Amino acid sequence: MDILGRHNVTVSGKGERFMMFAHGFGCDRNMWRFVAPAFEETHRIVLFDHVGCGRSDSSLYDPGRHSSLQGYADDVVAIGRALGLEEAIFVGHSVSAMIGILAARTAPGMFGKLVLIGPSPCYINDGDYRGGFERSDIDELMTFMDSNFLGWSAALTPQIMGNPDRPELAEELNNSFCRADPDIAKSFARVTFLSDNRSDLEGVAIPALILQCSEDLIAPDSVGAYVHERLAGSALVRLRATGHCPNLSAPEETVEAIREWI
Amino acid sequence: MADLLPGFDDETLYEDAPCGYLATLPDGTVLRVNRTLLRWTGYDSDELCGTRFQDRLTLAGRIYHETHFAPLLRMQGSISEVALDFVCKNGERLPTLVNTVQRTDEEGRPVVNLTTVFDARDRRRYEQELLAARDVARTAALELQRLNSELEQRVAAAVEERLTAEDALRQSQKMEAIGQLTGGVAHDFNNLLTLVIGGLDLIGRQIPSQPPGPGTERIRRARDAAMEGARRAAKLTQHLLAFARRQPLEPRLLEVNRLIREISDMLRRTLGEQVELETVLGAGLWDVEADPVQLENAMLNLGVNARDAMPAGGKLTIETHNSSLDDSYVAGVPEGLAAGQYVMIAVSDTGCGMDLETQQKVFEPFFTTKEVGKGTGLGLSQVYGFVRQSGGHVRIYSEPGVGTNVKIYLPRARPGIEAEPERRVEPAAMSGDEKILVVEDHEDLRHYIVGILTDLGYEVVATADGPSAIETIAKRPDLDLLLTDVVLPGGMNGRQIATEALRLRPGLKILFMTGYTHNAIVHDGRLDPGVALISKPFTYDQLGAKVRSELDGLPGHRRT
Repeated sequence: MDILGRHNVTVSGKGERFMMFAHGFGCDRNMWRFVAPAFEETHRIVLFDHVGCGRSDSSLYDPGRHSSLQGYADDVVAIGRALGLEEAIFVGHSVSAMIGILAARTAPGMFGKLVLIGPSPCYINDGDYRGGFERSDIDELMTFMDSNFLGWSAALTPQIMGNPDRPELAEELNNSFCRADPDIAKSFARVTFLSDNRSDLEGVAIPALILQCSEDLIAPDSVGAYVHERLAGSALVRLRATGHCPNLSAPEETVEAIREWI
Repeated sequence: MADLLPGFDDETLYEDAPCGYLATLPDGTVLRVNRTLLRWTGYDSDELCGTRFQDRLTLAGRIYHETHFAPLLRMQGSISEVALDFVCKNGERLPTLVNTVQRTDEEGRPVVNLTTVFDARDRRRYEQELLAARDVARTAALELQRLNSELEQRVAAAVEERLTAEDALRQSQKMEAIGQLTGGVAHDFNNLLTLVIGGLDLIGRQIPSQPPGPGTERIRRARDAAMEGARRAAKLTQHLLAFARRQPLEPRLLEVNRLIREISDMLRRTLGEQVELETVLGAGLWDVEADPVQLENAMLNLGVNARDAMPAGGKLTIETHNSSLDDSYVAGVPEGLAAGQYVMIAVSDTGCGMDLETQQKVFEPFFTTKEVGKGTGLGLSQVYGFVRQSGGHVRIYSEPGVGTNVKIYLPRARPGIEAEPERRVEPAAMSGDEKILVVEDHEDLRHYIVGILTDLGYEVVATADGPSAIETIAKRPDLDLLLTDVVLPGGMNGRQIATEALRLRPGLKILFMTGYTHNAIVHDGRLDPGVALISKPFTYDQLGAKVRSELDGLPGHRRT
């Protein structure tokens, strides 16, 4: 299977310009279902799953390469190259906002605009910088993930992996995030929440739109402001939507904000 | 049927159900909560209603809610048995399992979330035990895997060692067989040549008594030509006998340094202007008992080979020093050698070198890498035969593209007096439990070194080239000493490995080993003067003592 198949990539829609949607930690490409269709009349929509999520090929996972967000950014670049993306629009939610910035740095010319939904360059508090979390919070999150993956991982994963022609096996699972590979998901959580990519914000010359939710636990207002300040030429739009996933809780407002900006 | 539940109206059934119950807005704001959940958490209804239920979770639970729970509930419309921990009013945590259904309006917009909450304290405890057991099992499986691969490696190493030993034995048996064959033929041929030369000599002495004339002159010229041919045949036979160790030797008490000084002019002429000759003669060198003419021939043969290996010029270094070979060293010499004191003569060039296959054949008579007509293939055979016949030993080290080093060991001459046995260093004084990385590309040598160090109690990791050595250093911060060959394949030499190792691990102790002599390697610019270096071949005790003294020395120190 080629790189596109292994990342469960699909391209749909009309228009000249490509628009690539990247899901965040905890989800898969389905999280764009209320937002992406709104752009199909005007753009070519690219959806994909990060390694270990959704219907991606878990064998792509490389513990060394994926021990930093750059590894995930390199995956994005590989997909972009396979599709021949130039000056495309990158829409990244949560951790994928930073992955998009890293990908744009890695492959100049691939992305011409960045839409960053709830970005955070560093989740851990560090001196004057308030990322919102302490290291111990993240350790506790790991335990939590164990509890929520327990009981199905060993029993069901091989069945799903071994029966690609019977996708209903995966559908039968109660919660679709169970489709994530538990070990990769935990590693992704660790990489996400322990990453510090503040220095990568400097010198990015691509126009960027920052969508900041109200009362976002994961990426608080102060972090959005920090990104806005460091990212030259960025625009910051505050949404009325609360929580961390406006693309699900307030898709109309999200679509409107993106459409207006691009 | 409801009549069978006297006193249990719907209100009571809802409020006191054996599970918590919540009705919330899509953003989590609590609209209604039942008595059971209030009792479990210690809150009043007023304290919860109007606030978001996710704010009553632990921080990790809130992260999980934001990244998993909320998005998936929106996408799927329901979510089952998600583990979340509530924080009670008194600060204690309540592990629960949560099920939520999202109700939507006709257009699919979420209106309200209905949630049941189950007390999962016991189950979570059990899960923690399961997780701990899984971790134990994983660790055990990894350990088993490690042991298995270690066992496989050890078996492979033992087989390898065995094969190497058999190879060496075969090689020495082959040399022996060729020697006997050559010697036998040469011996018979020598006898025949004696007859031929004797006959020609007689003819020569008869010529003056013959009447002068063109006929007699023709006989004289033919006799002279035949005599010259016979002499050359005799010389060739001499070489063959030398290889077969059957040449008549005239051993004398000999000062090796003086002999080398005497022949250095002749050597310089042989080497030509392109090749620089340097001699580093050890002080207080013991005498040997050997045939001076044969030793001169050996040195010249080595000089000629070195010259031919350096067509574009280079450097030839001759060194001498005293050397003691102990039991463990001579045990590794398949053709047999007595332990004791020897004088070592090392001849190193900076020429094209040779591969392992060639090295195994160089001592065989008539083996040559030179063009037809340029060499007899008997030069190194002479060296080998002469040294063996003199009770000594030859070792050859070579790296393609780098150079060749030949070491001759001749026994110390102590007529009537037994050589003083070398004082053995107590093994205890050499042993240790430090961790050592050995980098050596020659497999048999690597096994030999690892064997010695393991025997002395060290923990040894071995690799065959630079890149894998660097990988090991990066993975093993507990290494105490890097013991590396200087000339290595794989793109990195010992010096480059050392530089990179010190960058990764400042203060790591480093000991180089080389088949080249110290002077050859330092002067050639491959290492800096003053680095810690041990020359091959080394004995068990020499390696043990050197490693111990390096480990006991200052980190990264240099000797000058």
